[in-house]
Amino acid sequence: MDSVVQLQKQLVDYIASLFHEGFLDEQFNQLQQLQDESNPDFVVEVVSLFFEDSERLLNELAKALEQKTIDFRKVDAHVHQFKGSSSSIGAHRVQKVCIAFRNYCEEQNVEGCLKCLQQVKHEYSLVRNKLETLFQLEKQIIAAGGSLPAT
Amino acid sequence: MEYLHSDIADHTQQREKLQHFHVLAVDDSLIERKLLERLLRESSCKVTCVDSGDKALEYLGLLDSQEIDRSTASSFCPQSSTQEGLKTVNLIMTDYSMPGMSGYDLLKRVKGSSRKDIPVVVMSSENVPSRISMCMEEGAEEFLLKPVQLSDLKKQLQPHLLKLPVHPKIDMTTSNDNGNGSMIIDITMNNNQNVVVSKRKTMTPEPLERRPQMKGLAVI
Repeated sequence: MDSVVQLQKQLVDYIASLFHEGFLDEQFNQLQQLQDESNPDFVVEVVSLFFEDSERLLNELAKALEQKTIDFRKVDAHVHQFKGSSSSIGAHRVQKVCIAFRNYCEEQNVEGCLKCLQQVKHEYSLVRNKLETLFQLEKQIIAAGGSLPAT
Repeated sequence: MEYLHSDIADHTQQREKLQHFHVLAVDDSLIERKLLERLLRESSCKVTCVDSGDKALEYLGLLDSQEIDRSTASSFCPQSSTQEGLKTVNLIMTDYSMPGMSGYDLLKRVKGSSRKDIPVVVMSSENVPSRISMCMEEGAEEFLLKPVQLSDLKKQLQPHLLKLPVHPKIDMTTSNDNGNGSMIIDITMNNNQNVVVSKRKTMTPEPLERRPQMKGLAVI
């Protein structure tokens, strides 16, 4: 079917662009390789956990940075978690911001931290949109009777 | 000693072997636990995940309260083994940075306990040389950087595969060479009781040699 082939090409190109633009890195490939017939939804499951976890962490970070006296160790602990989870799914740009964020925590630099919070929120929402688009494309392919291109 | 003639038999037996290889995975992050569990199951291991060092100690039967119970029990029945009721764990893989008990603390507790023979691998997202040497000095088998990849894991598990005792279900029969050349796996035990595995390809049929079986030899 023409449309399936077109969709499959769209997906391959889309994923390639996400890598090219640095949204995703090699770790995302690793996740895809762990998906198979016995674990058909593995990537979606892990990424969904990431979304949930990230929302929670962003809330905690906002709260922690609103305090009169900021507990930088607490802030750092949250950023460390965020860095870990983003790295585990290959969300490269989010991870990079987290690294800068941690440096500001170490310096106890409030302004730097607030700036990073905005940046990490932004990068997170970008990669979330991209991944949701990716999953939508995959759904369309499967609904049209096609199979997902091998990674 | 038997010669195994096909890679398929080799691979199947490897997978069988590892199905009895039980890994205790310790990480406070749900995402990490899910990933590690998938990686380990992909490597055909049995996996148990816990989210803290305390839960790991509890699972291993190393909480103070558990150790007291066991010594009380054995003082009533001196014949009973302290190993009774203890779950078999072949490898512990733990994250380094965890709230409460860190992976390093867990490592220390295990290495100072009756279960010190269980190898412990520590994982961390941070490449800190002092942290790495601290863990290695405390007896960690390996320090892996996260995110852990399947190839890292397979490299980790390889030597453990060779050390496991022969499982009674493993079929020791060989197949006849079909004349197209095949892979022969030589398993020998050297003077230091180390298992040495080597592979060689043969291009012509070789006569099957029968050698006396050695006890306790791990056969793939």
